[in-house]
Amino acid sequence: MKPFRLHEPTDVHEAASALADAGGGAALYAGGTELLLAMKSGLLAYDTLINVKSIPGLDAVSADGDTVVIGASATHSAVECDPLVRKRMPLLAEVEHGVANLRVRNVGTLAGNLCFAEPHSDPATLLLVYEAGLDIAGPSGTRRITVGDLQTGSYETSLEPDELLIAVRVPALPAGMCAAYSKFGYHHRPTLGIAAALGVKDGVVTEARLALGCVSPVAQRLSRAEDVLRGERVDTLTEGASALREASRLASEDADAVEDMHGGVDYKEHLVRVFMERTLLRALARNGGGDG
Amino acid sequence: MTTREFKTVGTAVRRVDADDKLSGRAQFTGDLQVPGMAFCKLVTSPLPHARITRVDASRARALSGVYAVLTSAELVNMETHYGSDKKDRPVIAIDKVRFQGEPVAAVAAIDLATAEAAVELVDVEYEELPTVTGIDEALDPSGEPVHESNVCHEYGYEWGDVDAAFRECDRVFEDTFEFPMVYHYAMEPHTCIVSYEPDRIRLWTSAQHPFLVQAEIARLFGRQLDQVQVVVPFVGGGYGSKSYTKIEPLVTALSREAGRPVRLALSVDEAMRTVRRHAARGTIRTGVMNDGTIVARECTGYVDTGGYTDNGVRVTERFGDRMPGPYSMANVRVKTRGLFTNSTPAGSYRSIGGPQAIWACESQIDVIAHALGMDPFEFRVKNLVREGEEVRRGRRPIEGDLEYALRRVADEFGWNSWRPGPTPPGVKRGIGFACGVTNSGASPTSTSLVRFHADGSATVYIGSAEMGQGSRSVMAQIAAEELRIPYGKVRVVASDTTAVPWDRSTGSSRSTTLMGLAVHDAAIDIRQQLLDLAAEHFEAFPEEIEAEDGRASFKGESVAFAALVRNMFGGSGGELMGRGYVTPKHASGKLRQDTVFWEVSIGAAEGEVDTATGEVRLLRYYSISDPGKAINPKQVEGQDEGAAMQAIGHTFFEEMLYEDGQLLNPNLVDYRVPVFTDLPHEFETVLIESGNGPGPYGAKGVGEGGIVCVAPSVANAIFNATGVRISTLPLTPERVWRALHEAGQEAG
Repeated sequence: MKPFRLHEPTDVHEAASALADAGGGAALYAGGTELLLAMKSGLLAYDTLINVKSIPGLDAVSADGDTVVIGASATHSAVECDPLVRKRMPLLAEVEHGVANLRVRNVGTLAGNLCFAEPHSDPATLLLVYEAGLDIAGPSGTRRITVGDLQTGSYETSLEPDELLIAVRVPALPAGMCAAYSKFGYHHRPTLGIAAALGVKDGVVTEARLALGCVSPVAQRLSRAEDVLRGERVDTLTEGASALREASRLASEDADAVEDMHGGVDYKEHLVRVFMERTLLRALARNGGGDG
Repeated sequence: MTTREFKTVGTAVRRVDADDKLSGRAQFTGDLQVPGMAFCKLVTSPLPHARITRVDASRARALSGVYAVLTSAELVNMETHYGSDKKDRPVIAIDKVRFQGEPVAAVAAIDLATAEAAVELVDVEYEELPTVTGIDEALDPSGEPVHESNVCHEYGYEWGDVDAAFRECDRVFEDTFEFPMVYHYAMEPHTCIVSYEPDRIRLWTSAQHPFLVQAEIARLFGRQLDQVQVVVPFVGGGYGSKSYTKIEPLVTALSREAGRPVRLALSVDEAMRTVRRHAARGTIRTGVMNDGTIVARECTGYVDTGGYTDNGVRVTERFGDRMPGPYSMANVRVKTRGLFTNSTPAGSYRSIGGPQAIWACESQIDVIAHALGMDPFEFRVKNLVREGEEVRRGRRPIEGDLEYALRRVADEFGWNSWRPGPTPPGVKRGIGFACGVTNSGASPTSTSLVRFHADGSATVYIGSAEMGQGSRSVMAQIAAEELRIPYGKVRVVASDTTAVPWDRSTGSSRSTTLMGLAVHDAAIDIRQQLLDLAAEHFEAFPEEIEAEDGRASFKGESVAFAALVRNMFGGSGGELMGRGYVTPKHASGKLRQDTVFWEVSIGAAEGEVDTATGEVRLLRYYSISDPGKAINPKQVEGQDEGAAMQAIGHTFFEEMLYEDGQLLNPNLVDYRVPVFTDLPHEFETVLIESGNGPGPYGAKGVGEGGIVCVAPSVANAIFNATGVRISTLPLTPERVWRALHEAGQEAG
């Protein structure tokens, strides 16, 4: 690995200025689990790494009303084990527990995972159904975007060169929603990730949020499949109603799957169909049990 | 006289290296600091097949902190090529590169960062050549061959009248099976430090065969054997990847150039471009009678040995030796060929050619049994070679009762009473069986020296490398047993060519059998000397002396061995030396016959197929291990389970993927190795001690058998569950799903 300078800012403003000053020659560094691997293998090279862990308080996990605010240097393990997260959004804790391995979870951060924009991210897919927001800091202040606005491609985000993600804001699912997440694959990174959150009232699906990741470069919401589920009765869905199969079919059609080491397009589309059904059934089985 | 009971042999004693390894004190090559040591980085070819038209290292040499750059121009006053069977591997690429990642230049610098910077300053120009990727392209004569031709080696043997047998049998089956290229993943990638000095060359290296490295370096650099010292510290896993000579010649040449010690530690990426297992294709024609008697087998196959021969000659041969299986057949014809391609050179890997051969053999046995309507287990039993029968004509007969072994595994697994039980929709369960025998032991040549000290302790000198298999503990057990002293009083010094006597190699499951025999004999040599001293002491005959627990006794009186030794040397100190020579003439020529022993492998698997996704879950796996005599039963199980776990890799997901000669997955994120969560809930070794191996106490090797039966037994279980036969590894969910899909057997 080429030698680099380590900059340790003490506040967000200093980090943003350091980024701006470096003019593309610097990268933010939190857990380093992805970045340092890429640098060691020569895929990336930076003169300066800006260590966001040196910014006090940026690793906090706190409540803002019904929203849990996760600081940019909070590790996967910290999120997984946080009492607020476990109480209000147990599915996030469950998914964080399944990220990579213990060593990665203990140093890798949720925010770093999102910003590195590796296509096979569990949290990036899951947070779409939580409709999470992101606080982005730059030289001129802070702006808020949705999690879906962040990733634009494989390893590409909408962040400006002098901006940094400082917090992930995850609203708890509204009362009455049930949710589940499925992942599949035998590689270290998942081949497929599907998140489903369904709002149920009086035995009828009133809201549906479905997200699909890993099969294509960017995780996405599946609006056509969501539309099919709204208004369907839970008991007929759990019996395998045609709407369940239709939603899964549409999910597969909209998957934008790409061929890679994880599989061919037809196989991935097939997996989306299989796992959308399985995930919806698991979510519905949690009906009334919230997202855990 | 009653039979003496073993004191340490047969006991799962604490490993002699346990504390060092658990505490992190154990030293591997990469832990060593040699004063003045420079750091090496390699300039490697980005192209898989090309002529080198220019190498200009002048900018790199001019960089401050760079001591030397090695290119082919510096390979003067030395031999330029090395290799175990064919010396076709240049110390560093000369004129042409034959695989992506082949070293073209090597930098020695004051630190790694400087070496890395210098690598960028070496200018290499290439003229690209068409790439030979895989067996089919290697067989196509149209492109430029990798060497003079793409054929590395041809092998074959035959007995009986094969053509007549095929004409006369009731049915003929012909099937082809493919095995992928896989990588060993030793946790420690190859690491080597060399100090080239005017009167000697010293190497510290992660090598399995220190004396073969010594001989190769002496030959390359025109030195006497006594001028080349090879020290092998603890090795962080070998599995064959550190067999023979790998990076040592390059580092030695660079040290000569730099005038100082040089260290090269490869990354996983570089190790994957250093050695791998041979991909293989095996086609088997089998002629059977309707009653299930196999009358003829014709096995033809190819192995892909990559850019250089490495161990391709022997792998081609073992692939052919192992393919017909452990069956009694009157007519056999085998022809195998090793082929060059533009990929990482393929060498030894735990049971060379074995998993590839037995994958083909045992998959087809199941195909035939099914077609004949026979239980695949009974079909195997019916055709097995019987105890004392020649497995391969003219070679050592099988030692041990294979039918008994098969029935033991079947009983413990519950083969006959097995039912699939209830499964979720779309999930199907099945069981599968496989068996094989592999000719092991390499060559029957090892030596050992034991020093018996004046305080009653002993030091054992062995050439075996300790790479996790536990050889030091087993040798200490054997020495303690034969010296009649406690296990804790024996220390083992290993794998330093200036300290320990010669050994052939650490591989082919041979150390316990052959080095064990040498240690056994050396210890007995000392015991005899002690008995002679005791006889003198007691004024008795040596045969009348009892020796136990560090003391010699006669008619109720006893004397410590230590006192006997001190008295011999006048009272203050002294020691005895014992030697053990193992040669083909050992024990009246018992080891002369080809193959030192047959290693037995049997596997029974229960698997579950999610027909909607193609995912296969291994629920139970039973393996057999017959060490003849289990000198350390826990280590025997460790070898068997470790080998079976390694096989889970090539069975389910391991495969080096090449596209146009470029390796697509040279890292452990994209190249998936097995982890503990991949193990089945029931993962059992059935231990049989048949007592008839050629090693001490009837022992024989067990390091490799566990790796060969996992893949065929799992594929046979998938067939049993779904009726779909898959003939290509690994059994990834996608491959299984496609096979089910084509057969109309998928759910959902």
